[in-house]
Amino acid sequence: MSSGLKLFLRQKKAVAGFIIIVALCLMALLAPVLAPGDPAQRVGRSHQPPTAEHVFGTTKMGRDVYAQFVWGARPSLAVGFATGLAITAIGTAIGLIAGYFGGRTDAVLDLTTNAVLVIPNIPLLILLASFAGTVGPMAIMAIIALTSWPWGARMTRAQTLSLKNREFIVAARMVGEPWWRIIFVEILPNLVPLIGINLVGSIIYAIVAQTTLEYLGFGDPLNVTWGTMLYNAQNSSAIIVGAWWDIGAPALGIAIVGLGLALLNFTFDEIANPQLRSGPALSRWLRLNRLRARELRAVR
Amino acid sequence: MRIPLRRLGVYLAAFLFAIVVNFTLPRLMPGSPVDSMIAQLGPRATPAAIEAIKARFGAVEQPIWLQFLDYLKGLATFDLGVSVKYYPQTVTEVLARSAGWTAFLVVTAVIFSLCVGVSLGAVAAWRRGGRFDAFVSPFSVVLIAVPPVIIALATLFTFGVTLRWFPVGYAYDPSLDPGINFTFFGSVFWHAIMPVLTLSPYMIGEFQTTMRSSMISVLGEDYVTMGRAKGLSNTAVMFSYAARNAMLPVMTNLALMLGAVFGGSIVTEIVFNYPGLGLTLFTASVARDYPVIQGQLLLMTMATLGANLLVDILYGVVDPRVQEGRT
Amino acid sequence: MNAPLLRIQNLDVDYLTDGGAFRAVKNVSFDIGRGELFGLAGESGCGKSTIAYAITRLSKPPAWVAGGQVLLDDQDLLKLSETALQKVRWRRIGMVFQSAMNSLNPLMRVAAQFHDVLARHTGATRAQSRARAEEMFKLVGISPTRLDDYPYQFSGGMRQRIVIAICLALQPELIIMDEPTTALDVVVQREILEQVIDLQRSHGFSVLFITHDLHLMAQLCHRVGVMLKGELVEVGDVRQVSRAPAHEYTRKLWGSIPQLPGHGAAA
Repeated sequence: MSSGLKLFLRQKKAVAGFIIIVALCLMALLAPVLAPGDPAQRVGRSHQPPTAEHVFGTTKMGRDVYAQFVWGARPSLAVGFATGLAITAIGTAIGLIAGYFGGRTDAVLDLTTNAVLVIPNIPLLILLASFAGTVGPMAIMAIIALTSWPWGARMTRAQTLSLKNREFIVAARMVGEPWWRIIFVEILPNLVPLIGINLVGSIIYAIVAQTTLEYLGFGDPLNVTWGTMLYNAQNSSAIIVGAWWDIGAPALGIAIVGLGLALLNFTFDEIANPQLRSGPALSRWLRLNRLRARELRAVR
Repeated sequence: MRIPLRRLGVYLAAFLFAIVVNFTLPRLMPGSPVDSMIAQLGPRATPAAIEAIKARFGAVEQPIWLQFLDYLKGLATFDLGVSVKYYPQTVTEVLARSAGWTAFLVVTAVIFSLCVGVSLGAVAAWRRGGRFDAFVSPFSVVLIAVPPVIIALATLFTFGVTLRWFPVGYAYDPSLDPGINFTFFGSVFWHAIMPVLTLSPYMIGEFQTTMRSSMISVLGEDYVTMGRAKGLSNTAVMFSYAARNAMLPVMTNLALMLGAVFGGSIVTEIVFNYPGLGLTLFTASVARDYPVIQGQLLLMTMATLGANLLVDILYGVVDPRVQEGRT
Repeated sequence: MNAPLLRIQNLDVDYLTDGGAFRAVKNVSFDIGRGELFGLAGESGCGKSTIAYAITRLSKPPAWVAGGQVLLDDQDLLKLSETALQKVRWRRIGMVFQSAMNSLNPLMRVAAQFHDVLARHTGATRAQSRARAEEMFKLVGISPTRLDDYPYQFSGGMRQRIVIAICLALQPELIIMDEPTTALDVVVQREILEQVIDLQRSHGFSVLFITHDLHLMAQLCHRVGVMLKGELVEVGDVRQVSRAPAHEYTRKLWGSIPQLPGHGAAA
């Protein structure tokens, strides 16, 4: 485990991504300190550009964009992380069960996974959301989680299948280890890098889906989240009138979260897939090779 | 071209799932969708229309399975119901208008992204560790993480509103009449640039990443070494030996991404006011036009299934091993 | 048989690992004459395959050629530009890899895999390549009607034969065979090797035969070299090395071959 941690820390990209995420989470947690008061309060004139007093300007309704940004981070991040966790949990569980137990269980689960995978998510989400009316974060979380688990389930199932036939698992079964022990003690630890990718990818997806739904107006407009900020900005024609800060702040927030998570994912990908890893030795080999090729071309 | 029965089974299951969801959802919330639709119709609410709505959405005293059969019968004859917002147009009519534009947008974006993404990925893997790879590859990962909604808004603002390089809405200049002429096509092309450029970054990022991984794997294979041992040019080895084989997982990835592409197109159309299925869906959901929303889901599901089928066929063409049932 | 065809001099190959550079091939020198079958033997990991790849600069990471010369008719292959080297590859030096299962491009028909190399080196047209391919197929004993098949449609042994056929198509002066039959069963092994010997006798090319099977080597080769941990510990005529080995390790190698009761000394 500690070698994994060392590997992680050596990757500058991962560390950068991690710092970004932690910074944003801290900002969200410290909202009462960074932007005291009610973010829905009217504090200034409509659509004012950023000034010293209101660093991110004001919305059409005269609310402080900075305060909304800081407070809005809370539900956006919280729901995003929680939903991502839920998606990963469901997907991993289903993938594991299908892969390990095989047979009819696998056939049914695999069919379900592939079938739900093929259905386009956003139209389904819009359908569910429009029937449900304006919904709070919990309902959005449920809807997103129930429609996006297949991607992770597929990956987990494939990996479980390949692990199942490895010698140490076969040996464990022959010795008579109970199935739950095999799954939790033998297989699961080997799935950790995959679960990491799954988790980060699911969080990214959850944040995108949540923002999209809220932008389209399915969120609770009274709730201050980055998605509803976009919705309100759009409805007040912020872009057309040139109030770029109104759209820009939440957009920037989402882009930065995405960036941080992507950097993390890049590294998880390399941990899970050693071939992609460019350790110092491989980098050195590639560099030497390039230099030599250049030399030889010049000698001609 | 033998498509494995398994794949067809999956597609059938997905389609059934969509149908069942469409059927059960309004019935799970009795009263409110039906009432709201009847209210929407307002003065146009003839008794016949009200009956039709009730029948379609289950506010009737018929056993469930009979209702389901009626529903299936309707689907078989492409009767998706009548739109509430655009009454008395049928759902099919409403969707048919916009489907063409969405198809145009999505197909153009996919082809563009495929070409760009795959090329970038192949070069990044071939020149692994070099400056190109060090810049392009992390950038691609970032592209995947930034949602289309953000890119759409940013693009609209920067290029449309501020720089005024491109028009900010519609599929073509509203003052033009559609026709087979250069001006019209030119206008269509011009208006499509920003939406296509919005849909593309996510796909380019995905294709680049997948192609690079796949190519790195393939470059380690013996047949690539043999290609080099044969004294073939670097280009020949990179294309015919490496890239060709590396494309296979990319195609599989393409099939998986199609659902997400439709999702992205919805948001893009809304931001750019592009008259495709996405915009129709949005206005329908605002107006609670449930028949159109449901029809939309079915249509998009079918489109995704159809596209998946197409990719399956293409894969079979490219990889001869599949045709015999083995992979 | 005057000047040797290939002269390897003071070849050093390193393995670049995260923990530092490890010298896998240490100062190895040997010659291969024209029309000569040279065997290179040693246990796994002694560096023999590494040398095979290094000769035409096909080394994959972490193998890195650190020094030495590989002289083909007084031209140092290690100093040629990539383009110039591409002209030498296959035309003058061919290679048969250990696992022919994977040496053929799975997405190209076999005929196309003949054509690309023939067109590249001789500018042959498709018709000409096909004619040559048919000739080669007959030579290795595969029906020419199968030229339009894909590699997966052939068995492992046949795929190895196809690689040998493609190898001979340009009539190279040297063929490097890296454990060409280890992955095949004994009967097929025998057939293929006999075919290679026949072809070698009729066409007169040199062979660098890399193997860990001493018996095979003793039966087939004219001269042999023995490698131990990256060093060439013994090199010479096959009869001399097998009957009166000079090095301790060689003696152990021969001695480790189990004897059938009632038979004399090895080879």
